Amino acid sequence: MSGPTFNSPFGANSNPFGSSRIDTGVMQRVAEEDENDTVTSPTTPHFGTTTSATFRGPFGGDATFDPQPSGVRSPPNPEGYPAQYNFGRRTSVSAESLKPVADSYDNWTPPYHPKTPEQLERLKKAISGNFLFSHLDEEQSAQILGALVEKPIPAKGIKVITQGDAGDYFYVVEKGSFDVYVNSAGSLQPGPEGMGQKVGAIEAGGSFGELALMYNAPRAATVISAEPNCTLWALDRITFRRILMESTFARRRMYEGFLEEVPLLQSLTPYERSKIADALESQKFPAGHTIIREGDPGYDFYLLESGEAVAYRSDNDQPVKHYKKGDYFGELALLNDAPRAASVVSTTEVKVARLGKSAFQRLLGPVESIMRRQKYVGVESGVEDKDPLQKS
Amino acid sequence: MATVIQAQPLPPGGGLHPLQAKALMAAQQQQQQQQQQQQQQGQPPQKDANEEPFDPSRKLTAHDFVRVRTLGTGTFARVCLVRPSHGSEADRSKVYALKILRKTDVIRLKQIDHVRSERQILADVRGHPFVADLVASFSDATTLYLLLTYVPGGELFTYLRRFRRFDEDTARFYAAEIVLVLEFLHEQCGGVAFRDLKPENLLLDEQGHIKLVDFGFAKRLTNESSGANNGELTETYTLCGTPEYLAPEVIQNKGHTTAVDWWALGILIFEFLTGYPPFWHQNPLEIYKQIIEKPITTVLPQSPPLSVSAQDIITQLCNVDRSRRLGNVSGGAARVKAHPFFADHNVDWDALYHRRVRAPIIPPVRYPGDARCYDIYPEEDAIKEEYTEEMREKYDEFFKDF
Repeated sequence: MSGPTFNSPFGANSNPFGSSRIDTGVMQRVAEEDENDTVTSPTTPHFGTTTSATFRGPFGGDATFDPQPSGVRSPPNPEGYPAQYNFGRRTSVSAESLKPVADSYDNWTPPYHPKTPEQLERLKKAISGNFLFSHLDEEQSAQILGALVEKPIPAKGIKVITQGDAGDYFYVVEKGSFDVYVNSAGSLQPGPEGMGQKVGAIEAGGSFGELALMYNAPRAATVISAEPNCTLWALDRITFRRILMESTFARRRMYEGFLEEVPLLQSLTPYERSKIADALESQKFPAGHTIIREGDPGYDFYLLESGEAVAYRSDNDQPVKHYKKGDYFGELALLNDAPRAASVVSTTEVKVARLGKSAFQRLLGPVESIMRRQKYVGVESGVEDKDPLQKS
Repeated sequence: MATVIQAQPLPPGGGLHPLQAKALMAAQQQQQQQQQQQQQQGQPPQKDANEEPFDPSRKLTAHDFVRVRTLGTGTFARVCLVRPSHGSEADRSKVYALKILRKTDVIRLKQIDHVRSERQILADVRGHPFVADLVASFSDATTLYLLLTYVPGGELFTYLRRFRRFDEDTARFYAAEIVLVLEFLHEQCGGVAFRDLKPENLLLDEQGHIKLVDFGFAKRLTNESSGANNGELTETYTLCGTPEYLAPEVIQNKGHTTAVDWWALGILIFEFLTGYPPFWHQNPLEIYKQIIEKPITTVLPQSPPLSVSAQDIITQLCNVDRSRRLGNVSGGAARVKAHPFFADHNVDWDALYHRRVRAPIIPPVRYPGDARCYDIYPEEDAIKEEYTEEMREKYDEFFKDF
């Protein structure tokens, strides 16, 4: 077969960064196509010698996948591909643009629909296994549980969601049962068999439609009430995403505000502060908890998000420092691993945001080099800073 | 008012002379040959007389162009190969890619902000060797248009699916060019997150170099357009991207930044080397669950295994913890470039930027307007929703920049 020159793109000399360029041919490896040329696949092991596979040119119609092993990497394991993997172009997805209400966070409050403690328990249980809810903090969980709204489904045979329709709501079944139908055509069709095959049922405690919490995708199934007097709880995407966004946004702005007040971090740019805010981890402690202990090596820096705490030193019965919301301690841990100069104990329930020295350094590099931008002298601050502690 | 962006000098080797539209294949080969020789000598080829044939003071319209054929379709846009409909013969032989967006679709799919941002960012990032340049934007009563340079080599997606997978040197070449374009967007354009990196959005130019396209989800995250990393970095919350390539923080709505592009680069390198993405399921929810719950190390192929440095760069890029994710950690893109996946293979970043590194695949492009590298799409849209007078009153102000 006299095909056009078509050197394997996987040839030995194909390293674009290789130091030895043997092939200096002008045409190089031109992926060539010609209607009348049948070229063996560049991915066959005996490229150019046998025609065990027909190379359809890189630009035919639908993609076909050469079952022959690749010439360079060891033969692919056909089972290595995910089952039923779709090799087609993938469509982008997008939810509504969502912008935090910025500084006026308090102006937006999520909808709140009261529920009995039993209802709340059932709801919590229903969503607990769902990965979309598993990472929420307490406040977010409470807001989302509060935002679920009751939807009575009085009769049997009511379609709650319809295959192919736009999806906006997620549902939890409080009472009754629902049947799930899928039509292989991809959407509900007219006629008595229009819903397609029944593929399952959802009982109380079950849920459906969670993809709608991410973006508007056509419903993959039709869900219809199987008995009269059913009850659902419903949550729409905008409310769900907004609750998550507003609380995250508010917390990050709060962290950035706190960080701005830390003299050690004064020379950080706003960009750097927001990167750090990203890496802070929230922790809760009950009253009376020792957050850092005098003499222990210091690895973490803390911001007090809520509650109050005091610092003690072993040589003094009285607290040497009081901390309230927005205060910070342990910041010298970012600089060195010197033992803590004092213990800090919560006096109320507290929420702290913790930043490890290692995370700080991973994100911004050594603190020393940041401090070199600005001298850190004579500032009154946390527990390892000897002056304020000794004065008090 | 139409916005015609003044033509800038093309990057080395970037453009072909319009008169060559009719040139024979042999002539083009000769030119390529010359370019290659020049590149081997380290000299940029001479700039072509490539002034855009448009009067910047005049509003462009769809009638200024003749559609040649469709190059791609999306949920609310169509990209067509076009030629100017009038002017000198040289003008009429020029080719462009025209992205056509119907206002009704943009509104229905709630993409107004994205479309405005696309136009603005495209204007800001022009001139990078690995970005398809915006030439002009304009609009009419029902439609928005983005006129872009035509990139004749087609989608890297097509080549990847045909060749099934790339060997590591091929994958490294594309990954390296993408690192340069991400470095540019993140660190030199004031924190622009691209947010939809995937083989479908990477085109090859006539010499086989990358051109990043579809800035529909690109977003500027700092309030300073120039100067790196001084402005406020504001995380963003709108879920967008492609399911297989979404970073965990996007799925969980934790607020996301340019770090999502580094995650996507890890997914992309994985797909280059294996032919499929690491997280996949027919049900998109299962994809998201895997992205959140499955460490990437558990899905790396066992046989044949990837090289140690390939495994490591994928693992470091696809780190759920953003304070550990390569590219997002201190040092930014420089750290990615220094990773053994690149550093142990003598990647010459400067030569790469100047497109002096020979590409592993040379698209079979025979003349500048050749569209053989693109799949065929239906030329007509389905039902068109009417852009009503009420919609015009309500929404047209949002499109006035076009």
